[in-house]
Amino acid sequence: MLRSLVRRAAISSASPSANPHTLGPFQVFDRNAKRIQKDRAALKEGSRTVDYVREEVADRLMERFLDIKRTFGTILDLGSGSGHFTKLLEPEKAQKSVMMDSSEMALRRDPDSEFEVQVERIHADEENLLQNVEPNSQEAIVSCLSLHWVNDLPGTLIQIREALQPDGLFLGAMFGGDTLFELRTALQLAEVEREGGLSPHISPMTQTNDISNLMGRAGFSLLTVDVDEVKVAYPDMWALMDDLRAMGEGNALLGHRRALRRDTLAAASAIYPALHGNEDGSVPATFQIIYMIGWKPAPSQPQPLERGTGKVPLGEVL
Amino acid sequence: MNATATTAKTPLSRLALHSTATCSVQASAYGKCILATYTDVTKDVCKDEFVKFAKCLREAMGRKW
Repeated sequence: MLRSLVRRAAISSASPSANPHTLGPFQVFDRNAKRIQKDRAALKEGSRTVDYVREEVADRLMERFLDIKRTFGTILDLGSGSGHFTKLLEPEKAQKSVMMDSSEMALRRDPDSEFEVQVERIHADEENLLQNVEPNSQEAIVSCLSLHWVNDLPGTLIQIREALQPDGLFLGAMFGGDTLFELRTALQLAEVEREGGLSPHISPMTQTNDISNLMGRAGFSLLTVDVDEVKVAYPDMWALMDDLRAMGEGNALLGHRRALRRDTLAAASAIYPALHGNEDGSVPATFQIIYMIGWKPAPSQPQPLERGTGKVPLGEVL
Repeated sequence: MNATATTAKTPLSRLALHSTATCSVQASAYGKCILATYTDVTKDVCKDEFVKFAKCLREAMGRKW
C-alpha cells in the first residue's frame, strides 16, 4: 500500500493554481498522470489482453465509417492509442492514417506490419491539435475512445473542426454517461457506509444530449449522434479494476490525492455483486459508448430551404 | 481459485482473493445488508456485518493487513 502511495505521489502533477480571476477551460483531469499511466500500461506484457473493449468499439466505429460513401487519401486518428481503429482500415477506403496520441509507448506498441494501410505517428497532446496540424488540412479526423480524458472538450471539438478541410468528416466514439455505473455506485455506497463521505474515483462522463449540443456549438453540420453499450462480465470487482489499470484507464482526476482505504475497497467488492451481480456469480461492467458524426460546413452540402419556400402545405401531408 | 492462491503475491491481490473467496459468506451478508438499505445508506448502517467481514479478512491476511 505504501508503494502505491509513493507511486501515486510520483505521477500526479501539482494542481494548477486555482486562480478565480483567470479564464480558461476547467481542469478536471491530470493529463500528465494519464500519459504516464498509458505509457506504463502499454509497456506491460498483458497490455494486448485488455484490448477487448477498444477492439470492439473500433469495430463498431468502423461500421459507421464504412457507411460513409467516400474514399480518403489520408485520415487523422486522434488519440489513436496503439491504433485499434487504424488496424481495421483497408487501403480501398483510406490510403494512409496519421496516428496521434499523447502516450508515446502506446503509439509505438504495435509494429507497422500489423497495419494494412500506411501509418505515420505523431507524439502530441490531443488537446493541442492545432499546434500539430495545419488548419483546413485534414480530409477526415477519427477519434476512438480518447476524448473522455480531454479537459476542454468544447475547445477540442472546435480545434477538430478547424483542422478539417471544408466538407471534411469527423467521426468519434467516446465513453459517456453510464459508463462503469456499477463500479461507481459500489464505491460510493462503500465510502458512505464505511467513511461517511464521498470522494471522486471515477471520471465525470459526458451525457449524450451534451454531445449533440457541443458538436453544434463547435460548428459541425449534418450531425449524427447515437449511443450503444458494451457489457463485460468479470469474475469480481478486483478483476475489473486490474483490467482498467492495464488498459491505462485508471483514475486521473485532478485533486485526487488519497488512495482508497482497504476497508472501503473490501466493502465495495462485497456491495458490487450484491447490487449488480449476475446469476452465475460474475459481475457486469457497462461501457456506454457515444458515437458522433459531424461535417465541417461547406457550400456544396445540402442546405435547409429558406423559410416560406415550401410549396406543399403541411396540413395536406399530415 | 487455487491457481490464484499460489500466484497472489501482492497485498492487494491477497486482499482480492480473501474478500471474494475465503470470506465470501461474510462478504455476501454485508452486501445483502447494503442492498436492503441502499436508498438510504448512512455511516455504519451495516457496521455489525462489516466487522465480521473485516475480522475474517484480517485473520486470512495474517499480519500483512
